[in-house]
Amino acid sequence: MTLIDPHIHCVSRTTDDYQFMARCGVVAVSEPAFWAGYDRSTASSFSDYFRHLMTIEPVRAARYGIDHYCWLCINAKEAENVSLSREVIQMIPPLLRHPRVLGIGEIGLNKNTRNEVTVFEEQVDLAARHDQMILIHTPHLDDKHKGTSIITSILKNDRRIRPERVLIDHCEEHTIRMAKEAGFWAGLTVYPVTKVTPQRAVDILETFGPNMICVNSASDWGESGPHNLVDTCLEFRRRGHSETEALNIFHDNPCRFFGQSPKWKVKPSGA
Amino acid sequence: MPNAQQTLDRDYLEMRWRCLSLAADLDRIERAESGKAVLSSDPRVQRLRQAIAVLLRDEPGRAEAVQNIFSDKS
Repeated sequence: MTLIDPHIHCVSRTTDDYQFMARCGVVAVSEPAFWAGYDRSTASSFSDYFRHLMTIEPVRAARYGIDHYCWLCINAKEAENVSLSREVIQMIPPLLRHPRVLGIGEIGLNKNTRNEVTVFEEQVDLAARHDQMILIHTPHLDDKHKGTSIITSILKNDRRIRPERVLIDHCEEHTIRMAKEAGFWAGLTVYPVTKVTPQRAVDILETFGPNMICVNSASDWGESGPHNLVDTCLEFRRRGHSETEALNIFHDNPCRFFGQSPKWKVKPSGA
Repeated sequence: MPNAQQTLDRDYLEMRWRCLSLAADLDRIERAESGKAVLSSDPRVQRLRQAIAVLLRDEPGRAEAVQNIFSDKS
């Protein structure tokens, strides 16, 4: 069976992880721009980071038969620095033509501050002006419910935004309705310590159904890993769901969302 | 030795997700066929409820008390 990890930070992962994913049937990944674990001091650091995402990781991934795509933005945590954020945002438009760039992401909120909201709105505007898909980061833990509410309100109030071209990521039991009821795609991140476990991800899939939900590992430099996506697929099958149903969720749904960009080349299994 | 605040800081997120996992486990049983009946009648669920009540007590020896709830003392 083939899988897609629609959200993984390969820059933080070892080559062993690419090998592992390939052995498990992962055929494609998408990598949003994110916080490196420290605040970068200049916009040129982001320029190098974006070049890494667009050119280095696709080559690393291709060695294992994995198709690698990316998203560009300034992440919510570093968005607290508004002047730096604006410098970074200015760099993005010409890069959006790159064949590996699927859109703007992962933008959103971290601590729900005024500065974060300002930069979020400016990046939503950037996406709208350039007709780009959007990948949304929702805050962690105690800040998630409020942050998801603010984010979805901003997006719903912008008439240029088509909800089916937006994925609200890191949804959990108390926030997924906000995404689904407004017509957005929802992302489930299997990252047990701070997000959902494989068991809870499958519970959410069983409760809300498979439509417009993508499951990802969001593997980064924290306690995470690509095995979490595979474990979730195995848990799904262990509960008696068929391979066809698993393929629909773990492969075809990412193809359906990403396939709204002509750059995405992987087709759904039935296509 | 870490103090109490440091210990909580280190372990809180894991305690939080274990708590969420248990809540989701009970929801999953309830959602399944005959879920409500199983939750109200199965003796293992009753023991889980007793164990959860122990966690709410403000006194030491919680782990031993929970082990005793899950032990065959016949």
